[in-house]
Amino acid sequence: MLQGLPLGAPMRENLIVGHAALPQWNFIAEAKSPSDVTVLKVANWEEYIDEGGWDDEEAIELDSGTITSKDGLVADFEAWYYETYGKQVKVEYSTYGTNEDLYSQLTLGDTFDLVCPSEYMMMKLMKEDLLQPLSARFFDPSVEYNYYTRGVSPYIEDIFSGNEINGKPWGAYMAGYMWGVIGIVYNPEEVSDEEASTWSILTNPAFRKQVTIKDSAREAYFPVLAIMNQERLLSDEFKNSPDYHEKLAELMNDTSPGTMAKAEPILREIRQNVYSFETESGKADMVTGKVVANLQWSGDGAYTLDQAEADDYYLKFAVPEECTNLWFDGWVMLKSGIKGDTEKQQAAEAFINFLSRPDNVVRNMYYVGYTSVISGGEDSQIFDYVDYCYGAEEGDTIRYPLGYFFSGDDTDEDYVITAPADQAQRQLFAQYPPLEVFDRSAVMLYFPDDVNAELNQMWINVRCFNFDQVSGQTWLKVILVLGLIGLVIAALRFRHSIFKRPVKRGFYRSD
Amino acid sequence: MNYHFSRRQLCIPYAAFLICFVIAPLLVILYYAFTNGEGSFTLGNLTGFFSSPNTVGTLFYSVLIAVTTTCTCLLIAYPAAYILARSKMKRKTILLAIFIVPMWINFTLRIVALKEVLTLLEGNLAYHPFLNTIIGMTYDFLPFMILPLFTTLTKMDESLLEAAYDLGAGKAAAFVKVILPLSAPGIVSGVTMVFLPAMTNYVILDMLYNSTYIMGSLIGSYFSSYDWNSGSMISIILLLIIFLLTWATNGFREDDNRRGALL
Repeated sequence: MLQGLPLGAPMRENLIVGHAALPQWNFIAEAKSPSDVTVLKVANWEEYIDEGGWDDEEAIELDSGTITSKDGLVADFEAWYYETYGKQVKVEYSTYGTNEDLYSQLTLGDTFDLVCPSEYMMMKLMKEDLLQPLSARFFDPSVEYNYYTRGVSPYIEDIFSGNEINGKPWGAYMAGYMWGVIGIVYNPEEVSDEEASTWSILTNPAFRKQVTIKDSAREAYFPVLAIMNQERLLSDEFKNSPDYHEKLAELMNDTSPGTMAKAEPILREIRQNVYSFETESGKADMVTGKVVANLQWSGDGAYTLDQAEADDYYLKFAVPEECTNLWFDGWVMLKSGIKGDTEKQQAAEAFINFLSRPDNVVRNMYYVGYTSVISGGEDSQIFDYVDYCYGAEEGDTIRYPLGYFFSGDDTDEDYVITAPADQAQRQLFAQYPPLEVFDRSAVMLYFPDDVNAELNQMWINVRCFNFDQVSGQTWLKVILVLGLIGLVIAALRFRHSIFKRPVKRGFYRSD
Repeated sequence: MNYHFSRRQLCIPYAAFLICFVIAPLLVILYYAFTNGEGSFTLGNLTGFFSSPNTVGTLFYSVLIAVTTTCTCLLIAYPAAYILARSKMKRKTILLAIFIVPMWINFTLRIVALKEVLTLLEGNLAYHPFLNTIIGMTYDFLPFMILPLFTTLTKMDESLLEAAYDLGAGKAAAFVKVILPLSAPGIVSGVTMVFLPAMTNYVILDMLYNSTYIMGSLIGSYFSSYDWNSGSMISIILLLIIFLLTWATNGFREDDNRRGALL
């Protein structure tokens, strides 16, 4: 009776109804064959996957069909896996806030099978040999369900196979998920395009206390390096040198003691100039107009622009001319979780593939706001979605080529979007920066532990209260206040001798 | 089955709790504070803290914030508690509730709301970070100052005040010589309850304006970069400072009055 119970996606609702009416069915199933269910422990960033619950208005109507989501990708995956492979999988999904949180969880003994760290944490995990390599099956393009291999953008594929850790390419261990650059979200009424096109905006006295950056030593170090090497980065000689990309990568990963020593004063200057170092508030502060410019990852940038637009408030996104940080998050399997279990590994790889199915990519991109590394390969749904979001026929339009991402050839006429002219600096630009932006991008690599400790110490030095920031006038005020407090305390302490009144003549105390 | 229940056994749950959640964690912190990354004994964390102008500066800044917050709270709370306790108003409890009700609302929510209000008032919070922090902290800790003061002031023996007037004291003299000393336990417990959390509470500072570290955020930053040893040492240093302060303020207390300060 139980085996006949369909678990496929179309019957999901029936199953739930059945479950409510006859709960003993499910119970017997679990008791009978618990080993048939593969448990997959997945950890991901918060709000980094489509969780479903879309209402009808949110449905995305593409030429190839309507895309909507009710149960979210995790539940849909469980149903899809049963339909496709005939086996049950139970996803235990959890979230974390930062790469460092994830790493602490792993060192404190939590086990996960599949996690989604950023590139530098992936490098650390790879260096420490904690990762399970992706299987050869995963990369077989002839298998229909290998949506990742069949759909990953050739541009990303090149990056993943071209960079190595311990002699192995990144792509052997990591399947990309979302990617982008860092840039500046700014309010065009307060900040001009030129001002936003350089990292010096962070030290620009015109925006004193009106810009924010991330509260993280790594994220803050990158713009500091860019400001430090500004002249060199912008010089034609440097830009036109044959090994420009190697030199750029080297420069943006320079952690030599001399460079760090020079970076600290610049970081202090930035600290004096910024509104705050934010972890979460950056987007909100931008939308509410508390700050005029904000360093932001491109996906969050697009989100911020959307939020502001809902309030009829127009923001723009710019990537500074000096250079930018190319970042990506991706799925890796952990040895400690998979433990050589092929069933589990298959489920983990199927999870990656399910998320890489073009319609699911669209769902994810709509829900999360970031840009997926999947271009869809033969399937045009993802390009259709971008066109659906940004395409325009009338008015002031521009041609926006995306061939580099979708087919690997930026001159490819099939992948050009005709978009409103202002999209060149807005969401389309934030989600799919043009190739020239990636030309000046560098991946910030993983720093060894001792460098990280130094970087953190520098960050602490900058963030701590320093006596030398205090002006003489402030000192005077502080001394005055402290003196006053001292007086009050003294008065309380010696109140008996101060307030004691002399005995008046004519009175005789009995004691 | 010769089992005798004695009253002493009622301590067992509390003792178990104490050992698991107070003593054991403290020992762990102590262990980390006096070891280095490899686990061998060192005093480096201690000397490291006091030899860096940055960390000492942060300690100074935290104390400054805590002292200012406490003074502001006291200056606002004392008159309020005095009026609440001494006046003959009928709806006193409602008034008291107005002071207490904010405590029932989620702390984070209140600070976010305060941020909006402050932004409306002055525009850019980053121009006056110190002032804003003090406003935020005062806003948050004020009830903790009012309550003990209110309790001591209501419990005060009215006849002592009458005696003071009978013996020819003016209003000011009666206040300074009778009311103030009698409310000292309330002041001390209020000051302790405000000063100690104000030393370490960095959430308010972070939410209003996140740029300068105070002790709490300093500890946090060491922990988030896996340097548990330095972080633990700073926690121990803070613990010692707080211990010394509590011990010093104990000098003001008298045994009889201590019962007056309920909180």
